[in-house]
Parts: sequence; C-alpha cells; structure tokens
Amino acid sequence: MDLRFTEEQEMLKTSAKDFLVAECPKSKVRELEEDKIGHSPELWKKMAELGWMGLIIPEQYQGMGMTFQDGMALIEEVGRNLLPEPFISTLVASFAILAAGSESQKQEFLPKISRGEIKVSLAYLEENGKYDVSGITIKAAPRGEDFILNGTKMFVEMAHIADYLVCAARTGDSAKPEDGITLFIIDAKSPGITTEIIPTIASDKLCEVKFDNVQIPKNNVLGEVNKGYQALKDALRKAAIVKSVESVGSMQACIDMTVAYMKERVQYGRPIGAFQALQHLIADAWIATQTARYLVYEAVWKESSGLPCDKEASMAKAYTNEAYKFVSKWGIRLHGGIGTSREHDMSLYYRRAKAADCAYGGTDFHNEIVARELGFQK
Amino acid sequence: MDFSFTEEQKNKRQEFFKVCAELAKDRMRGFEGFESSYDTDEGWKYHLYCAKEFARRGWLSLAWPEEYGGSGNMMDRVLFAEARGYHGVPGVDVFGVQMLAPTILACGSEEIKREFLPKIATGEIQFCELWSEPNAGSDLASLTTTAIKQGNEYVINGQKIWTTGAHRAHWSFGVYKDDLGGKPHHNMVFLLFDMKTPGVTIRPIKYIHNMHIYNEVFLDNVRVPAKVVGQEHEGWAVVNTLAAFERSNIDDIMRMQRDIEHVVAYCNTTKQDGVPLARNPVIRNRLAKIAGEVEAARMLAYRVADLQNRGELTLMEAGAVKIFESELLERFASLMTDVLGPYGQVKMSRWSPMDGWWERIYQEHFVQSISMGTNEIQRNLIAWRGLELPRMK
Ligand SMILES: Cc1cc2nc3c(=O)[nH]c(=O)nc-3n(C[C@H](O)[C@H](O)[C@H](O)COP(=O)(O)OP(=O)(O)OC[C@H]3O[C@@H](n4cnc5c(N)ncnc54)[C@H](O)[C@@H]3O)c2cc1C
Repeated sequence: MDLRFTEEQEMLKTSAKDFLVAECPKSKVRELEEDKIGHSPELWKKMAELGWMGLIIPEQYQGMGMTFQDGMALIEEVGRNLLPEPFISTLVASFAILAAGSESQKQEFLPKISRGEIKVSLAYLEENGKYDVSGITIKAAPRGEDFILNGTKMFVEMAHIADYLVCAARTGDSAKPEDGITLFIIDAKSPGITTEIIPTIASDKLCEVKFDNVQIPKNNVLGEVNKGYQALKDALRKAAIVKSVESVGSMQACIDMTVAYMKERVQYGRPIGAFQALQHLIADAWIATQTARYLVYEAVWKESSGLPCDKEASMAKAYTNEAYKFVSKWGIRLHGGIGTSREHDMSLYYRRAKAADCAYGGTDFHNEIVARELGFQK
Repeated sequence: MDFSFTEEQKNKRQEFFKVCAELAKDRMRGFEGFESSYDTDEGWKYHLYCAKEFARRGWLSLAWPEEYGGSGNMMDRVLFAEARGYHGVPGVDVFGVQMLAPTILACGSEEIKREFLPKIATGEIQFCELWSEPNAGSDLASLTTTAIKQGNEYVINGQKIWTTGAHRAHWSFGVYKDDLGGKPHHNMVFLLFDMKTPGVTIRPIKYIHNMHIYNEVFLDNVRVPAKVVGQEHEGWAVVNTLAAFERSNIDDIMRMQRDIEHVVAYCNTTKQDGVPLARNPVIRNRLAKIAGEVEAARMLAYRVADLQNRGELTLMEAGAVKIFESELLERFASLMTDVLGPYGQVKMSRWSPMDGWWERIYQEHFVQSISMGTNEIQRNLIAWRGLELPRMK
C-alpha cells in the first residue's frame, strides 16, 4: 500500500493548478457564471492544447491514454479552482462512448473530443427528477432506417453549447427498468431539438432539452438497441466518482481559504483563528474533507484498477455530497458577513456544493445503492 | 403555567391573521417577507403599502406604552409578527419599528420621542442600521468612523458595511466615535440622520443569491443636526439597549410553521412512481423531526415574549431562540432541497417546485446566523453571562 500520488500525478496536479490560476481566475469563473452562454472558447482551446479532454482517452483515439486515476488528479485541481466549462460533461459523455460505442463510432467521436473540437453532454435525467434508471421514460420509436425521438430531458449540462448529446431513451417495453434502454449519440443541432437554460443555484447552465420528432439515424445508436443500461450505469458510476473528486478539491479550497482568513481577520485584538470555538469548527471541517478524500480515493483506485466498485462509488458520492455542503457552509459562517457576498469566493463554493450534490445522484439515491450492495433486501 | 391565549388575544390574533391574509393576496410570486422588499422597486412599494395598512390600524406601535399609543403588551407584537410571518407579508420596518422605537422609548429624550415616534408609527420614515464597519463586526466597539461635534451639528467621516436596506431607507440610526481621546465604551455617540444628507454614498453588496439588500455606506464629511439618542459619549449604552430589542424571531418561526403546512401539502400531492412523496418513510420521518423543532422554537419564542413582558428578558434566552431558529432554518432548507432532488437547486422559474422557495432559503439562512451578533458570539454570551462560565482572557 502506498497512498500517495505518483510523481507524474503530482506534476499533472501542479501544472493543472498553475494553468487554472493563470487562465481561469475566480473573476473569470464569476464572469462566465453571470454570462448567458457561460463558455469561453479561448479557455477551451487552451485546455484542449494541454490535452485535457483526451486525458483518459486511449492513444489510438488521439487521447493521452492516462489511467482513470491519473485523470482524477487533474479533476481534483479543477474542483479546487472551479471551472465553468463543459469539461466534466464531455468527460462523462466520453465514458459512455468508450463503454458502448462501436469501433467506428469511437474513431469518429473520440479523436474530436480529444482535440477539443466537440463538446458532448449526457442527457439522462427527465422531468420526473429520478436519478435511477426507472426515471428514463422518453421513447425512441424505430421508423425505417431511423429512430424517432420524442420527449424532454432535464438538467443536461451545457446542452445549449453541446455539439452532441448522448441520450438514454426507451426503445423497448420490459418489466425490468434496466431493459429496453438505448443510448444514442445525437447531433445537438438536429431539427426538432430545443434547448433552454434552467436557472439554478450555481448558474451552471443545466438545460431542458426537448425532442420533438427528432430523427436519429440507426448508425447513431451507441452499442446495442435495448441494451444501453450497462454502459450508462458504468458511465454514471464513473461520473459519480469524478464529481466526488472534484468536490474534494473544492472542499480543500474552502479549508485553505478559511484557515487563511482566520489567521488574518482580527477581532477583539486577536486573529479570529485564536478563538477555540472556531478552531473546533474548522477542525471538524478539515476532518470532513480528509475522510471524504480517502473514501473517494479508494473508489478512484478501484475504478481505475477495473475492480467492481458500485458500493464504494456510491459511498463516496453520498458522503462527499454532504461533506462539501457542510464544509462550505462553515466556510461562510467562519468568514462572517463577507462570506455571504456574491462577490466572495466562499459563496461561490457554497452554491457549487449544492449543484455538485444534485449532479449524478443525490445522497438518498446513492445511499440506497449502498444499502442494496450491503445486502439489504428490498 | 398556561400556554393558552386569552379571549382578547385570540380575537386580536384572528384580526392580525385576517388582515395579513388579505394583504398576502397582492404579493408577487415567490416574494416573501421583509428583507426581499429591498431588492426591487415593486417589493419596496408593496412593503410601504403594507406599512400604511398596518399604521392605520395602529399596529406599528403595538407594544409601546399606552401614552404613546400602544397597548403596552409585548404579546400583541408577538401575535402580529406571527400573522406576518405566516402570510409572508412585509410592512414592518424591523429597524425603525422593532429596534429603534423601543430604544427611543427606553433612552430617548422627550424631544427625540416627539419627533420620531409618530413618524415611525405612521410608517412615514423607514430606518437602516449603520453599525458594522469593515474592521468592526463582532467587535463593534472597535469601530473607527467618527462623528465630531461642531456647534449643534456633527460631522461624520468613515465607512459602514452590510447596511440592510440603506438604498431604500429614509433615515439611519448609527454609532460613531465622538471622543477620540475618551475611555473605551464611553467614546461613542448614537445618532440619527437623514440618508439624503450630502456626503453619504451607498454602494450595493449583492448577497449570495444576487439580490440587492445589503450595502456599503461611505460617509464623507456628512454634516448632520445633533439628533442624539441618549447622551453624547454614551452611545454604547444605547447600542446595548437596542441589541436587546432585536428581532424575537417569532415571525421567522411562524413562517417555518407555515412552511411545514406547505411541505405536507406538497408531499401529499406530488407523486413519484404513482406514490405520494408523503408515503416515503425517510421524508416523513425527517419532516416530523423538523416540525417538532419548529414547535420547540415557537415555545421558546413565547417564553422570550413572556419574559420581555415582565421586563425579565436575559441575553441568554434571546440568544437561544436566535441560534436555534437560524440553525433550524438551515436544517429545514437543507432537508427540503434534498427532498426535491435535482429540483432543489432550481431558482424560481417555471421548473421550480414551491416557487424556488427552498433554493432561496438554502442561501438566506445565513442572514439569521451571521447578522445581529453571530451565533458564535451568542454562544459565548450564553456561556459567559448565562451559565457564568469563566471567560478566557
Ligand atoms: C445579511 C447581513 C445583514 C446585515 N445587516 C446589517 C445592518 O443592517 N447593519 C449593520 O450595522 N450590520 C449588519 N450586518 C453586519 C453583522 O452585524 C456582522 O456581519 C456581524 O456582526 C459579524 O461581523 P463580521 O461580518 O465582521 O464577522 P467577524 O466579526 O469578522 O466574524 C468572523 C467569524 O469570527 C467569529 N468570531 C468573532 N469574534 C468571535 C469570538 N469572540 N468568539 C468566537 N467567534 C468569534 C464570528 O462568529 C464569525 O464566525 C449584517 C450582516 C449580514 C451577513
């Protein structure tokens, strides 16, 4: 056992950190947040030049071919700095393409993703707001050589600027919710698709996407018809881990920022960090971060090693959901008034914590998976 | 011990609820309570309209002594706050009506009383509170803004921060150093002045959720008449008097009581997989727990009113309600944003359940836990003054 990052991973972290601090300062994060589109093509291009989008895409698809674990070292820095770009959504979509796509689909899409030429987003949640597979209800009906898709997807990350959507829809009726799901990769500019941004706490450009008789060529089925569940499940498990890693990075940023402020802010003639009542609070926040961190790293390691980890991934996501909200809340409380200002970074993290909790499964949803994995019977 | 209302109180309560229910009909969608009134012109207009409606019934001066047009009974104020909280209507300027007026009654000169009480009672002037400064928050006594007496006037220089509603208020009450060589706590003056005075510059501080409620206020050679509450150099005593009148939180507690009803209705009517949310044992259980805590908060707030009525209120009891209420609000909002799943993050829009209320409260609960003496400071006071634990030097 060796619970340290490798030297290469440390280097990746440092260069990612330096890049983000220079190219995406918090002022930029806030500017993009308030912006209607919320995407900076220049920043995206620079990230692509560094190979970020293809980090864990195999070299044969022009990716960097790093391990999942390597990639997560970078994601942690993304979380620390906050990155308002369709980066994670594209990453998650690439998981689905890798898991389900045919060789020619991989050849078609993955190099473009690696080069930063296309942005892709996963469309799986619906109006019912359910995270589990039974929430997928919209139907794609076969017609000649095509499928015709109708219905509404919700909370699709940055769908308004996506080039493609990986969309889960029902193509067959079945008693089991896992059966009859097909994944499609759809040109986001197809006729019949309308996209609207949903106003959210983190202004993170989650979208409602309406499909009105959208024609999808059979070639754009990812994997097999009616058998999309496993690939979707794998992509979502990885997504839950990615989001947890990102949150750990963010929590560390909250701790660092708050500790620094506690040393600097003077009230009653001493730094507020000298008050024991506050020392205990920040110590608890640090413990929450540290426990989340190694729980998450374990899931990363399992995923990266190809070991089964449904339970660990869900434990990590459920725990981090709550821990990030807890840490960012105390970050604000310990800053006092200044922490409640829209302009302050602390409040940015606080809002992002709620968004992170909602992305790829809330706490109750993941705890339910944990309960099942533990052997509790329904 | 008797927790029941008298017949008279029941009647008054009914009247308060009736009028507030009526006023609530004109409320904009998703618009609630007092502080958000400051954000928009319509909100402020609506607040002033409610204020007029209350003023004409004498409800802005409810708990004042009879000679100033009140009933002298704190419980009336509590019953009225309950009605407002329940229906989410503004109309009561927390700063003028709830804080300044009782302070003026306690330590204002006859002249100050005659000048300001009637205008507060009619809702004609709305106040803001110029206390906190960038470097003087919890440690308010370390403030550095000066008010130097020149003849019958004061000249004020410095900066205040977090001023709720400064951009709407007509007048301010504030505390300033007026004796630069004076002894600590005996070197401040408590002054009232018109916010339109030249030299006053107001800049917005947007809150977490982007509403404009709070402000920075820059004071640059602001020359004002000497409207002093209490004695010169002795403003700190007035600050302490006022601090004891800060909100009893009963309106917020009643709002939570109402929220419980809304949430129960929502869970009964919203189905997932054909089953109402209300049947989900996790949701039932957690909401039942919150409801118990809201009830506990309400009883503690009655206890505060009861003590206040008899002039026996201690900082300990008031602090307990403030801490418990603010942190309960946070737990409630956390729970509800969870119950709503991915919709818990949605702002008021055509997609948001319950008008985006919980997304907003998920951010607004900090107002309660940080302002009016942070919860940590309140906890110190409970330990030091209430429980008489030794104080670390
Ligand atoms: C929404 C909002 C509205 C406000 N409205 C007004 C207004 O209208 N008028 C006005 O004058 N002010 C207003 N305030 C200011 C408010 O009174 C101050 O924010 C508050 O007193 C805390 O001061 P601070 O923000 O400077 O934090 P600080 O005092 O710097 O506190 C930072 C942290 O240190 C802790 N701390 C400080 N001292 C101690 C101690 N001795 N022991 C333990 N912990 C300690 C605090 O609890 C907090 O966690 C408002 C604030 C907010 C957030």
